[in-house]
Amino acid sequence: MKRSLAAVTAVLLAVAGCSSGGDSEESGPVTLTLAGWSLATTPEFQKLADGFRAAHPDVTVELKEYDATNYDTQMVADLAAGKAPDIYVQKNLKNFYTYQNGKQLLDVSDVAGKLGKGVGGLSAYQVDGKTYAIPYRQDSWVLFYNKKLFDQAGVKHPDGSWTWDDYAAAAKDLTPKLKAAGSKALGTYQHVWQSTSQGFALAQTAGADLSSGDFGFLKPYYERSLDLQAAGAQVSFGDATTNSLTYQAQFGKQQAAMMMMGTWYIATLLSQQAKGDADAFEWGIAPAPQLTKATTGTSATPVTFADPTGLGVNPKISERKTAAAKDFLAYAAGLDAAKALAGIGVTPADSSAVADTIFALKGAPTDELSKFTFATHDTKPENPVAKSTAPLQNILKDLHTAVLSGSKPIDVAITEAQDRAKNEVLSK
Amino acid sequence: MTTMPANRRRWRNTAVGLGFLLPNFAGFVILTLVPVVLLFYYAFTEWNMFGGATFNGLDNFRRMAGDSSFWTALRNTLYYSAFHIPLTLAVSLGLALLLNRKLRGVGFFRTVAFFPYITSIVAIAQIWNMLFSPGFGPVNEVLRWIGVDSPPGWTTSADWSMPAVIVVGTWREMGYYMLLFLAALQTIPAQLHEAARVDGANAWQRFRAVTLPGLRPTTFFITVLLTIGSFKVFDLILVMTDGGPGQSTLVLSQYIYKKGFQENEFGYASAVSIVLFAICFLVTVIQFVVNKRRSE
Repeated sequence: MKRSLAAVTAVLLAVAGCSSGGDSEESGPVTLTLAGWSLATTPEFQKLADGFRAAHPDVTVELKEYDATNYDTQMVADLAAGKAPDIYVQKNLKNFYTYQNGKQLLDVSDVAGKLGKGVGGLSAYQVDGKTYAIPYRQDSWVLFYNKKLFDQAGVKHPDGSWTWDDYAAAAKDLTPKLKAAGSKALGTYQHVWQSTSQGFALAQTAGADLSSGDFGFLKPYYERSLDLQAAGAQVSFGDATTNSLTYQAQFGKQQAAMMMMGTWYIATLLSQQAKGDADAFEWGIAPAPQLTKATTGTSATPVTFADPTGLGVNPKISERKTAAAKDFLAYAAGLDAAKALAGIGVTPADSSAVADTIFALKGAPTDELSKFTFATHDTKPENPVAKSTAPLQNILKDLHTAVLSGSKPIDVAITEAQDRAKNEVLSK
Repeated sequence: MTTMPANRRRWRNTAVGLGFLLPNFAGFVILTLVPVVLLFYYAFTEWNMFGGATFNGLDNFRRMAGDSSFWTALRNTLYYSAFHIPLTLAVSLGLALLLNRKLRGVGFFRTVAFFPYITSIVAIAQIWNMLFSPGFGPVNEVLRWIGVDSPPGWTTSADWSMPAVIVVGTWREMGYYMLLFLAALQTIPAQLHEAARVDGANAWQRFRAVTLPGLRPTTFFITVLLTIGSFKVFDLILVMTDGGPGQSTLVLSQYIYKKGFQENEFGYASAVSIVLFAICFLVTVIQFVVNKRRSE
């Protein structure tokens, strides 16, 4: 019995030794798995897989589909069960801490070291000098506007000089003029997400910091939204939630002349206009309105927000796969992938070099301000990486729904959120 | 076959019985029993699902005691239950009585009442949200038409969101309990009603003295089911209000979901689950004791 056990152990050791030794030397086909979501409507993952395969014929990248809404929940479960794909996407920054702190991301600092300067969003993935994911797309929030409706109302197009006061004034100006011109569109549409108020407030207010537990910086942003709702210049929050309004229909079907949205909507709008799911009209993008005059105008860099979308490597994969996975990350953040992504309307991490590709797409705007908006921005993360971010964002989501539904005055809601942050999150 | 020894035959019968039980029992053990038992361990740990859980004694329960959101969720759960249980009981019993007569098209009306129970919860939430829409929802249109000047904001108002959810919860479940009541009504002997009528009892007296006592076991069973269901309410609230506006409809099971699956605090979420379990257990035991005393 003892002898046979020893023999089995020896065989196992030999096999293990062979396979790990052989792995690094042998060349041969490798198959990597890559996580993605809503594959039918999100072609970027296949685009990356195909583009990489063209340059690395030995490596096949297979996609593993996840549900878009429950992506992180499913991924956490798969990682814990050891069933996760070799490469998985950091859909936003909210859960990056969970993965990184849970030791579910391989150190890819060597890949980061070789990237070009233009790759945005990299710093968000750096913890204690090491990089744990590589961004392949970096969206940013901008102002979408409907040129046809602006002209119909006889209101001047945005020119890149807007503060939030200018934006609110334009929305209020547009609404009655559109009505007079026989359109049922409102001045603007604010989608129901908390980021439509909080993302801008956090990015644009000097000294604003989620983990400080001081949320006073949100006040002017909410007061403006409430004012626009009261003035009828945007659909009320209650009507938007109870009727499950979609932002794609609100802007694409010309229910509003303006809308703040991330640059991912460019691809959607182009495809919906081409397919007839959205009305045919001329549109453009302008920088997000700014808190102060200092960052407005095309000689300044407008401040906005959005999380990068990155790729991380599952640390449980074999050595040979690791090398291929790192190659894939480098490819995804590089210029070739940037061009391929821009070709389907996706904003790559290195966006400066591909503006021409995006704006050459059929139906895309051609004005200078749109190009400026796409290429020039100081994009702050929506979710600063910290342990407290996810629970704090949940507290602020409650504030968002309470205030915009008119259930609580902004001052009361801020005080309550600060108390909860201290009591439930920051004191732990 | 007839010569098979008795003990072998008994063994065979047991094996066959177990064979029939096994598929269901195995599923129950793997998917329910083991996780539930593990829950009692994780409640005393800090665990983010990756790697091992760290034992931290009663920390989670101490934290809960000072966690205002937990108390809000508990209060809201009790609020929901306090109205949802009696309301559903009354409405489903009323429906059962109404649809227990010889009526033209009674099958159709029974189906109509049962239909919400088998309809997708997401569709229900979506449609009711539209009906409750403050600006142009039909509910408020009707209220305005009958002269209510400022109708409530329903799911968009912190004060009215819970009543709105209770209405929908009741509407959804009434058909199922109506069916149970209907079945029970058939078991009450017609002679009892006849005898009562001969004694000169009016409809209300017959209901009090014959129907209600006859329904006792069913009413008890339904109350227990309703109570546990109300304390555990989750899907309806998640898709209808997501706990909002603010925390006005945050209930315990949703709080558990948030802490566990959104914030990856599975230890703390397990501890809250245990509290919810304890509440359900305690209330059910009380109901059994009271029921036993009454039937003695």
